[in-house]
Amino acid sequence: MDFLYKALSFIAFNGCWFFAAALVAAFVIRDREKRMQFLRVTLVFGGIIVGSIFLGAALGKLKPLEGFAWGLASMRLSITYFAIQVESYKILPAGASMVAARVLPFGELLLGLWLVAGILRRYAALLASIVFVGFMSAIAYAYLHGLKIDCGCGIGPPEEAGPAALLRDGLRFFLPALLLTIGSFYVRRNRMGAAAASPVPAAAHAD
Amino acid sequence: MVHVTEGKGARKSAEIAKSRVFGAGRFFASLAILMMGFSAILCAKTQPVAASTQPSASAQPAQPVASPAQSAAAPATASPKPAASAKPATSASKPASKPAQPLVAPAKSYGSPNAPIKMEVFTDYECPSCRNLYENTLKDMINDYVAAGKVYLVHHDYPLPMHKYGYEAARWLNASAEVGKFASVEEALYDHQNDWAADGNIAKYVSAAMSPADFKRVTAIMRGCGFDAPPAMKSASFAVGADAGDTCSVDHYIEADRALGNKIPVQSTPTYVISYKGKQLPVGAGAVSWPILKQFFDSLLAQ
Repeated sequence: MDFLYKALSFIAFNGCWFFAAALVAAFVIRDREKRMQFLRVTLVFGGIIVGSIFLGAALGKLKPLEGFAWGLASMRLSITYFAIQVESYKILPAGASMVAARVLPFGELLLGLWLVAGILRRYAALLASIVFVGFMSAIAYAYLHGLKIDCGCGIGPPEEAGPAALLRDGLRFFLPALLLTIGSFYVRRNRMGAAAASPVPAAAHAD
Repeated sequence: MVHVTEGKGARKSAEIAKSRVFGAGRFFASLAILMMGFSAILCAKTQPVAASTQPSASAQPAQPVASPAQSAAAPATASPKPAASAKPATSASKPASKPAQPLVAPAKSYGSPNAPIKMEVFTDYECPSCRNLYENTLKDMINDYVAAGKVYLVHHDYPLPMHKYGYEAARWLNASAEVGKFASVEEALYDHQNDWAADGNIAKYVSAAMSPADFKRVTAIMRGCGFDAPPAMKSASFAVGADAGDTCSVDHYIEADRALGNKIPVQSTPTYVISYKGKQLPVGAGAVSWPILKQFFDSLLAQ
């Protein structure tokens, strides 16, 4: 499981580069059909990369604390530890923090699986972008209120909630999610447009 | 024929629009790559929060500050500011010289050392967040889980340089702990934090938290710490002022606590370190509510 967490973290942290490079390459291709094909493949990988961010974050929150073995009891411990981190943002009261701590990791897990699966990817990517905006808002809130706390992101090394965490989340996580959203809707729109524009044989020869 | 012409014109304008869209797409994608590259450089300079309590000999806090409202107020200083009400004392800026025999640290703890959970808290008595932690969490914890033998609570002093009377308050607490009055004095100081933080009259609340005989013993310990009793409290029985060459004996404990905090490192107060059967958990900072901490302890005890 530790290997899985490290692998997901690696994909999440470094995959955004390949995804962005592939998107640039997609726009360089002149031939429309080839471009759309390349874009579709890129979006599949983009979904896996953005999905890895959420899967890694979920695993980071659920995996046992150092020195504890995997198990339900250690997962409960990790969740309550995450609740302490959620409460430290001073946004939610204690009860709501505990609820959020119980729901968020599993929500991230489901969203990550949805992104990787690629079913209705545009909606999954849109939800992912909205979630990232929420996370970044919380980090900004904590920083503006002078709170010196762990961001509780769950992925990557522990990082203080501040401009560096905002930059990291913004550029490495939010931007790929946003590009995936835009790309998915673009591909879908093109597909709909192509289907609508396909000539009806009788009309093409009409005078 | 008209139909064909209209189709060609529409196709041409669509092509133009598409090329513009792709041009914009290329631009933004290139910008995205540049910004991601930029982020890699900036993120490399990130200062991580201490995730482990493994002491690092070289780790020093960059700017230990009080959270939440007093961050980045003053650079870290190795020596504490002397209290304004204290006479200039040689001991105010230096730790006490090592005594010939090792001093036993005063008991600044609650509960049994054999409890399965140990919680060490680094605080500054003038820190509002520390007061919040004490009033809203530690008091309930002491009455509940500490009393039940589940948690052993240990206090460590970590006075911050921006707090005028923080170090002096720590001195009073340590002196009170030596006569076994740590708990009552800690409660008195936190309950009246706003009052003594305004005028530095810590002795008033310390004396109110114990008997006159105990207070006399405490003031004797505080000899050499620059303690000057306010006029209303002066009497022949009070030890007043510092003789030349005297050092404050309790500074030794405070500096030992600070050295321990620097190893973690403590970056803000309150900071707490929880251990369960010898296993240290990630360092926590800031106030945490008792209901959540209680659930955390329950999860720990269920391991």
